[in-house]
Amino acid sequence: MKPEKAQLVVNGLKEAGVDFAAGVPDAQFIEVYKMLAEDRDIRYVGTANEAEAVGVGFGAWFGGKKPALILATSGLLVATYHLARINLLHEVPVLVVIPYRGDIGDPRWLGLYRKTTEPGLNAMDIPYRVVSRPADVVRSIKECNESARAWLKPVAVLLNEEALW
Amino acid sequence: MVTRFALLKELSALVPDDVLVLTSIGNNSGFWGQLKDRETNLFHLTMGMCSSTALGLSLALPNRKVIALDSDGNLTLNLGVLGTIGNEAPRNLTIVVMDNGNYLGSHKDEPGMPTATSGKMNLEAVAKGCGIENACTIEDVAAFRERIQSALANPGPHFIRARIEALDKDGPRKTKRVPDPRENKYQFAGYIQRTEGVEILGSGLGGG
Repeated sequence: MKPEKAQLVVNGLKEAGVDFAAGVPDAQFIEVYKMLAEDRDIRYVGTANEAEAVGVGFGAWFGGKKPALILATSGLLVATYHLARINLLHEVPVLVVIPYRGDIGDPRWLGLYRKTTEPGLNAMDIPYRVVSRPADVVRSIKECNESARAWLKPVAVLLNEEALW
Repeated sequence: MVTRFALLKELSALVPDDVLVLTSIGNNSGFWGQLKDRETNLFHLTMGMCSSTALGLSLALPNRKVIALDSDGNLTLNLGVLGTIGNEAPRNLTIVVMDNGNYLGSHKDEPGMPTATSGKMNLEAVAKGCGIENACTIEDVAAFRERIQSALANPGPHFIRARIEALDKDGPRKTKRVPDPRENKYQFAGYIQRTEGVEILGSGLGGG
């Protein structure tokens, strides 16, 4: 991932007012994690798995933070139970940012995630937007977070193709 | 060995009203809801989600004491959180683990299937290995009282493994309804908004 594209993601989080992030580093998104870990405006917590990250973000929301989860497509599967729970039982907003492996344009064929990512989000009733163009990254992250907070539910941004690679 | 109810009853007498208490699903939520009816409780934290939620909350509100009432089955589902707590080291966080050595569920007459802690796993040692130096095991009310008082007075993180009876043969009389997750969210977030001066629930326009 080129640093300027990672910077777009971080800029989007800041435009959205995100001040807290949790997740597990993913190879395709490593530049984003590194920037978040060093950022002064966003408190990043590296967790041992993505379900733990959901709990950490959920708790931070109750403390007045505007949290984002930075999850790999594989990590979304790990996070599913807790994410579904905070969406369907507690109804708490968390922005979920996902580098979308397996979609058209991915240099490696990871069809598993094409089969699980969008169907999984739909099954959990988590709205999402797929972003393909770098020019749409900042605006989409901001709009998805606004919707999450207005609707009191998680909303996901899936970044694919040229938005990432 | 001591019962869950005896320890929770003691905790209910010790914990100030402004301390945030997060409870795992099952009898930690059910009993605590009867003992301490107040808006500073967050109930129904499901398997693997109690201590992680308490960690996020404690980091967001570093000047507010946070107690997680977790359990052995719940914590071991997401044990990595102890490593995160050890590294993040929130000074305001106390984890209490009601360790009954089995997957009890609620309203059971005999112990459930064993958890790892009924075998070789020692959660105090795990916590210490994760860098949580203030970790201990208690088996009676007096030791529990001493450790809670210390946790409320001194910087953490604190980890209290409470070895309790396998079954909840005693318990509070059910006179109150524990709020459901949505109702509880509005109560708890409303309290935090009011007392911490932060915006959590937003404009409320989401409902139409």
